[in-house]
Amino acid sequence: MQKRKIDPLLLIGLIIIAGSLFLAIFGNSLAPFDPQEPVGDFSMPPSADHWFGTDGSGLDVFSRVLAAPRVDVAIAVTAAIVSAVLGTGIGLYAGYFTGRFAEIVMRISDILQSFPVFILAMVLVTLTGRNVVNLIFVLAFLYTPIFVRLTRSEVLTQRTRTYVEAARATGNSEFQIATRHVLRNSLAPSLVQLSVTVGFGILLTAGLSFVGAGVRPPTPEWGIMIASGAPNIILNEWWTSIFPGIAISITVFGYAAAGNAIERWARK
Amino acid sequence: MNQTEALLSTRGLTVKYPYGDVANVVIDELDLDLYPGQIVGLLGESGSGKSSLALAIMGLARHPGVVSGEVNFRGQDLLKMDDEELRQIRGNSIGLITQKPRQALDPLVNVGKQISRVYRAHSQASKVEAQIRAVELLRSVGINDAERRVSAYPHELSGGMAQRALISMALSVEPDLLIADEPTSGLDVTIQAQFLDRMWERARDANIAVLIVTQDVGIVANYCDRIVIMEDGKITEDRATVEFFANPHTDYGKKLILSSGADAKASNADVAVITSPEILRVTDLRKTFEVDGGKRLQAVSNASFQIHKGRSLGLVGESGSGKTTVGRLILRLADPDSGEVWFKGGRIDSISPKEFRKYRSKIQAVFQDPFDSLNPRWPIERVIREPLDLHTQLSKEEKLARVKELVSLVGLTDDILPLRPGSLSAGQQQRVSLARALATEPEFLILDEPTSALPPAARADMIRLLKSLQERLDLCFIFISHDLSTVRELCHDIAVMYLSEIVEMGTSEQVFSAPSHPYTRALLDSVLFHDPSNRRVDRKIKTELEGEIPSPVDLPQGCYLAARCPLAEQRCRDDHQELIQIGPSRSVRCWKSVEASER
Repeated sequence: MQKRKIDPLLLIGLIIIAGSLFLAIFGNSLAPFDPQEPVGDFSMPPSADHWFGTDGSGLDVFSRVLAAPRVDVAIAVTAAIVSAVLGTGIGLYAGYFTGRFAEIVMRISDILQSFPVFILAMVLVTLTGRNVVNLIFVLAFLYTPIFVRLTRSEVLTQRTRTYVEAARATGNSEFQIATRHVLRNSLAPSLVQLSVTVGFGILLTAGLSFVGAGVRPPTPEWGIMIASGAPNIILNEWWTSIFPGIAISITVFGYAAAGNAIERWARK
Repeated sequence: MNQTEALLSTRGLTVKYPYGDVANVVIDELDLDLYPGQIVGLLGESGSGKSSLALAIMGLARHPGVVSGEVNFRGQDLLKMDDEELRQIRGNSIGLITQKPRQALDPLVNVGKQISRVYRAHSQASKVEAQIRAVELLRSVGINDAERRVSAYPHELSGGMAQRALISMALSVEPDLLIADEPTSGLDVTIQAQFLDRMWERARDANIAVLIVTQDVGIVANYCDRIVIMEDGKITEDRATVEFFANPHTDYGKKLILSSGADAKASNADVAVITSPEILRVTDLRKTFEVDGGKRLQAVSNASFQIHKGRSLGLVGESGSGKTTVGRLILRLADPDSGEVWFKGGRIDSISPKEFRKYRSKIQAVFQDPFDSLNPRWPIERVIREPLDLHTQLSKEEKLARVKELVSLVGLTDDILPLRPGSLSAGQQQRVSLARALATEPEFLILDEPTSALPPAARADMIRLLKSLQERLDLCFIFISHDLSTVRELCHDIAVMYLSEIVEMGTSEQVFSAPSHPYTRALLDSVLFHDPSNRRVDRKIKTELEGEIPSPVDLPQGCYLAARCPLAEQRCRDDHQELIQIGPSRSVRCWKSVEASER
């Protein structure tokens, strides 16, 4: 036996994911200042007191970067889990019991997936109202077709395997075969996708806030922070946008890296 | 044979695969000589290095394998040659036939072109000449209608035809040495026999040295002059075939000969009058499938038979004969177009799937693919317990006790219970399937080729197990197989299927001792006995079939066998044949056989 090597990509990804989840829970309490209360000086560059400086409204950037995962990561993780559960269930049904219902479901997901995600998200958020719960539902709604498709295509291959036939011959009902046998064997692609979807979800949440279609300021949120700092970058006030930007990049990279590493591992 | 000079000889040939710090030695200091006109069978378990040897001789050891030693071919060391020289030798003097014929052919180029390309790469022939040569070659390996086939693409050919296209490609340059790596795995028995006959003839006529890599003792006994056994990269036995069969030296060799059931006699006594109650009755079962273009493929047609308690029926036929579909129809894994299935006096083909589920505990099945039949995520304990969960009200402890009882019944031990199917061998997996099928003490079993995906030793074990269970549990089953010798050993009665129809039925004793239908005779003739003194090539073959099995979509008007049958007359081509009773529990679908039996 060779020494089992841990995939460095997986390790980095998992560390970043753990960090983001930690901040989503404890970020608020770790922040040195209240992320929603001005601390006095406006537009101060990074200093010993304010590590990432303060923004145009006098809010501490460091505290806001730490507190933002409560919004961004929480929305993305919840939405990804909801869409994975929903999508896997629908995909299992549509793949196992092919028929008219399956056809309708698949055409609906075709239509959904043919819209640019960002535009559709903007429209839906505008229609339902800009708050965290609505954002979660919109994201979950948009990401469900991905899981439907992945699960269904896996189910379509699994249902032709002999163990399904054997389960039928043993006396399982079709429902039992689908849930006890086929489901468990069709989960791998969705599990891989889950992590990647969280990354996309963070990007989308921040992007929506950036264009003013997401959560409202002064909620600490990376997209809002970038947007609020963006006009001042030409005045050399780089710190308000750069730090949340870096935070987003690292987090999204972490989820994507973990997703890729899991996929590589699953294929072995 | 040793008086002639070796055509190819390896000295100290070693192939290693670096694996971490250590090297995995696949072939270890191997010395082997091959002589012109001699057919050598290379036997060994999978992983013993057989295929690696075949490739190393061709200078084709897979990356990152490290090859050392010598491979002398006509005095030149192949391992010292550069790629260009090697290419010349490979094409001109050494031909290779690989295991999966269709994967070895280029799917985008028609076979004629592929053959003529090989031919032209090593000779000065023009395109037109090469094309003519391709047709000749295809004809010489027994492809009828070669003019048309030459423009066929690989996906339009059956496995047997693709294999023959490949051999004609290898033979096109008239090699001095032919290496065939399991050339007939995946071919039907009658096609396998045709193919090997042809190869044997060609080798004889052109004085070619042949190395056949195989696990099939039958092939070696029938076609090889010499046997080489490989174990762990070393040759452990290298002798003339006749000597080897008389007295094998190695344990592996002894096991091989013991595992051959081909010459076993049908041991089931022939019961003339069956008094036990009827378990299953099938009448006029018919099933067609729709294929592209609205045409219908006839899978099963007019199948009728009954099985009595304690008896077993062997359903024999080549691939596409419909035997598996019959099993699936009885198991309600597919619904028949017409016909009836009765189980213990109750009709079970027209009841709802929900009602049928009550019968599932009484009718169980074992399928062909050992690994695929088990849920890969479930531990063995849960796999075997599943039917108990579904059909019984036993307590947890009672179930576990029953699972353990079943495991030992099929010759396995308790320590496999927590394992997943993937960590078992194919033979063990198939025993698990059998244990699951027996869990609810079914009255009837369908065994769909349970032995054909197993390596020879595991196959022999499985047959022995089935035989002992049959005696101990008084099992009643249908055994679906293309392997006649296994059926003969296990089954009281036999139904031979060809292209969706039962062509002959009778007790094992009757059918094996006096086959009546030409197809049955051909099937029996193509059995390769594990006995070099009774070789197929020496036997006078009474019924040799020609060509390929016709497509079940466009079935001929008359007898389905007419186009291949050497006895066919005009009446055969015109009239569809009916299954006619010619004796007690004996019937045949051939007017000539019926007339012969009346005489």
